[in-house]
Amino acid sequence: MPTTSVRSRPAARSADPISEFFEGLAAPGCLDTFAGQSATVRFDVRDDRALQHWYVTVTRGDVAVSQSSDEAEATVMVDRPHLEAMVTGRLNAQAALLRGLLTCEGSMAMLIMFQRCLPGPRGSTGRVAPISSETVMAQRRPA
Amino acid sequence: MSDLVQILEGNTFVVSDNRGDIEASRTDPTGLFSFDTRFLSRWVLTVNGQRLSALSTDDLQYFQTRFFLVPGGGTVYVDAKLSVIRQREVADGFHEELRVLNHENEPVDLTIRIDAASDFADLFEVKDALRKKGSYHAEITGGSLVLGYRRETYARETWISSTAAAAMDEKGLTFTVTVPPHGEWSTELDVVASEGTFDGSSGPVGIRGQGQRRVRRDMARGLQKWLQNAPTVSCDWEPAEHIYRRCMTDLAALRFSTLTMPGRSLPAAGLPWFMTIFGRDSIFTSLQALPFTSELAATTLLALAERQGTRTDDFRDEDPGRILHEMRYGEMTAFEERPHSPYYGNADATALYVVLLDEYERWTGDTRLVRELEHAARAALNWIDEYADLQGNGYVSYQRRNQKTGLENQCWKDSWDSISYRNGDLPGFPRATCELQGYAYDAKVRGARLARLVWKDPAFADRLEKEAADLKRRFNRDFWVADGEYFAVALDGDGGQVDSLTSNIGHLLWSGIVDKTKARSVARHLLGPRLFSGWGVRTLAEGEARYNPVGYHVGTVWPFDNSFIAWGLRRYGFKEEAACIVAGIMEAAQVFDGRLPEAFGGYQRDATRYPVQYPTACSPQAWSTGAPLLLLRAGLGLEPQGDNLIVDPALPTRIGNLQLLDLPGRWKKMDAFGRGRIDTDRLIRR
Repeated sequence: MPTTSVRSRPAARSADPISEFFEGLAAPGCLDTFAGQSATVRFDVRDDRALQHWYVTVTRGDVAVSQSSDEAEATVMVDRPHLEAMVTGRLNAQAALLRGLLTCEGSMAMLIMFQRCLPGPRGSTGRVAPISSETVMAQRRPA
Repeated sequence: MSDLVQILEGNTFVVSDNRGDIEASRTDPTGLFSFDTRFLSRWVLTVNGQRLSALSTDDLQYFQTRFFLVPGGGTVYVDAKLSVIRQREVADGFHEELRVLNHENEPVDLTIRIDAASDFADLFEVKDALRKKGSYHAEITGGSLVLGYRRETYARETWISSTAAAAMDEKGLTFTVTVPPHGEWSTELDVVASEGTFDGSSGPVGIRGQGQRRVRRDMARGLQKWLQNAPTVSCDWEPAEHIYRRCMTDLAALRFSTLTMPGRSLPAAGLPWFMTIFGRDSIFTSLQALPFTSELAATTLLALAERQGTRTDDFRDEDPGRILHEMRYGEMTAFEERPHSPYYGNADATALYVVLLDEYERWTGDTRLVRELEHAARAALNWIDEYADLQGNGYVSYQRRNQKTGLENQCWKDSWDSISYRNGDLPGFPRATCELQGYAYDAKVRGARLARLVWKDPAFADRLEKEAADLKRRFNRDFWVADGEYFAVALDGDGGQVDSLTSNIGHLLWSGIVDKTKARSVARHLLGPRLFSGWGVRTLAEGEARYNPVGYHVGTVWPFDNSFIAWGLRRYGFKEEAACIVAGIMEAAQVFDGRLPEAFGGYQRDATRYPVQYPTACSPQAWSTGAPLLLLRAGLGLEPQGDNLIVDPALPTRIGNLQLLDLPGRWKKMDAFGRGRIDTDRLIRR
C-alpha cells in the first residue's frame, strides 16, 4: 500500500505531542541527522483504547511519515504515555529500552538512528558556572 | 584466596576461583556477568557434601577453561578415588561440562550438588556497594531452574538447565548417581543470561537473541580465523613473538559486538569492569592495532557515529556532535540513576574520532567509509569549535554539567588528582589540558586532508588548515612554561598555566602541535630522569608535589601512554629516544609474560629490578594490549605514504632482526624488516 506523506496531506493540528513530533519529523530540512541514510521504522503505539501506527520512511535523508501498518525494518512497540514522555524529553529512549518500556523487533540500528531525533531534557542549558581552584581544594581537603 | 579465572566473550564473562566455584560477596567482582549485570553470584559444586580442590586449571581458549578437581581440600596429600573435570565455555551465559570419574574397582554412590543463586547486581552496584531496589524470585519451569529479578518493568533472569536428570530446588540442582567401577558420569549444564521479557513458554532467549551452541561454534572458528589473518612476527629476541601472540589473542577476547552490528566487532576497554564501548579507549586501541587489523577501526567509527550526540543533555553531558564516553546496559543506567545511556563526558574522543578516520583511510584507502561518515566527522569538527571552547579563548576545555555522577576530569587521566600545579594545588574548572589542544589541532589538519581528498570541499579544508595553524601558534605561546622548557599540563579557568611536568607533553609530539624549535626540549624531558623510569615515561614527573610512583595518574607508567609517546618521538625524528621507550615497555611486557597491565609503578628501574604492577589495575586492558603493536610500528617506523608503506627502522640492539609479514593495507600485503642498531641500554643508563 502506498504510504502517504504527511507533507502532502495537511494534517489537522492537534495538541497531541506524539502527532506533533511525527509531523515535525517530515518537515523539510529538520533532520540533518538522517543525512544520506535510508530506513523504515514502524511505531505501534498502544493505549487503553487502540493501537496506532506511525510509519517513518527515510529515503536518503528525506523523511515521510504515514499511519501505514506495513512491515518495516524495525517495529517498535511502546505504550502511549512512554512515547509521549520520550518525544517531550522526559524519558531517554535507551533507558526505556533497557527497562523494557519499549521493545524493538527487527533492526536495532533503525531504532538507534531514530532516537537521535528525540529532544534532550527540557531543563538542559548546556551551561554550568565555573568552579575556582579554592573551591576544588576545599572539597578535596582530607577530613 | 584462590586464584581467579576469567573467561569471556564480548561483554559476558565469568570470574570464579580456581575450582570453578563462584561465591560472590556484595562488593566482590566474581560471578557470571553479562551486559553489566551479574547473573550468577553463587555457583558451588560439592560431591557428597564435600567441596573440591583444584589439581590444575587450564585456559584452553580465552572463552574456555578446564578445571581438574578432586574431593576434599586444604591437604598436601591427595588420595583421590574420584576426580572431577569441569570444562566451561562462555557464550550467552556459559556452558559447563561436568564429568565425574570413579577410579575404584567398586561402584560408588554419589550426591552431586550445585548451589546456584544470583543477586542481579549492576556492575556499578558492585563497584560502589549499593543496595537493590527490586524483588527476587526463583521457580522451576519446564526442566529449568529460573532465577529472576524484577523492578517495575525491568526484568532479568538466569536460566539453568542440565542434560542429565536433576532434582531442582530454588537454590540449586542435585544429582543422585551411581558411577560404575572405573566408569564415568557426566552432564552438560547451560546457564543463560536473559532479559526476561518473554512469556516463558518458549524457553530462555539470551540477551543477544542467539542460541548458545551456535555462538560457541562461531567463537572457536572466529578466534582461529582472527589469528590466521593476522600478520606474522618473527624476531631474534624471542619474547617479541610471544608478546605479539598474547596481544592478538587478548585483542580477540576484548572484541565486542554491538547489538546493532552483529558480526562486526570493536575493542571494549578492559576486563572485568570495562567490557563495553568507550569512545576514547576504543579509538586509541583501534589506532594501535591499525597496522595489523583495520576491522576494529572501521567498526569503532561506525558504532560511535551511530551514538554521536545530537542534543543538549546536561545529565549525560551530551552536546551535538560529541562522541560518547561510555555505554552501559545495567539496571542503574536503565533507571537513569547513572548517565551511561550513553554518557558523553569526555573532551578528547570527538577530536580523536576524526584522527582515527583519517589514519584509517591512510592505511586502507577505504574512501567509501570516509564518505559514509562525512556527516559524523563534520559534526565532530563542529563540536570542537561550537561546544568545547567553554572559556571562549579558542581552546578545548571541559567541565562536567552532571555534578553528581559525571566525570570531573574528562581527559584520559580521569582520576580526581591527575591535573595539578607543581605545588600540588588542583586547578578550578573549566580546565583545558594540553593534549586536548593537540588532538584538536590534529583533527583539523587531518579533517582538511579528508575534505580535500574525499568530500571535495576545498573551502572547508582551507578553513580547517587556517584554524589549525592559528591554534598551533597560540598554543606554543600560551602553554609553554619558559622556566622549565616544556608545555604546561593545562590552562586553568583564568587562563593561567597549570605548570607541572607530565607525560601529556609526549602526546603533543604525536599530534604535531609542537613547534620544531621546542621539540628537542620536550624529547629531553620525556627521556630525562624526572619522567623516564628506565621502563617508560611516568604520568607525572618526580619532584612534583603530587608525585607518587604508585599513584594512578600521578607517577605510574602507562604502557598505552608510552606507545603514543614513542609514535610522537618518531614523528619529530627522535629515533633513539623512541627506541628507548620501545625497549623499556617491551622488556616490561616480557616480565608480565606478554600481557601488559594498565599501569605499573614509576619506581626507578634499577631500584626494583622488576616493574611493579599497579595494585588495582585491570587486565587484559585494551589499550595496554594494543601498546606492543604500536611500539612495533614505532620501532619499524611504519608510515603509509600514498599507496606505499614506508619502513624506517630504529630498533634497540637487543631486538636483533625483526620481521613483520603480510601487513594488510591499501597495498594488499606488505612485509617489513628491521634490525636493532640502537644501544638503548647505554642510552637509558646515560
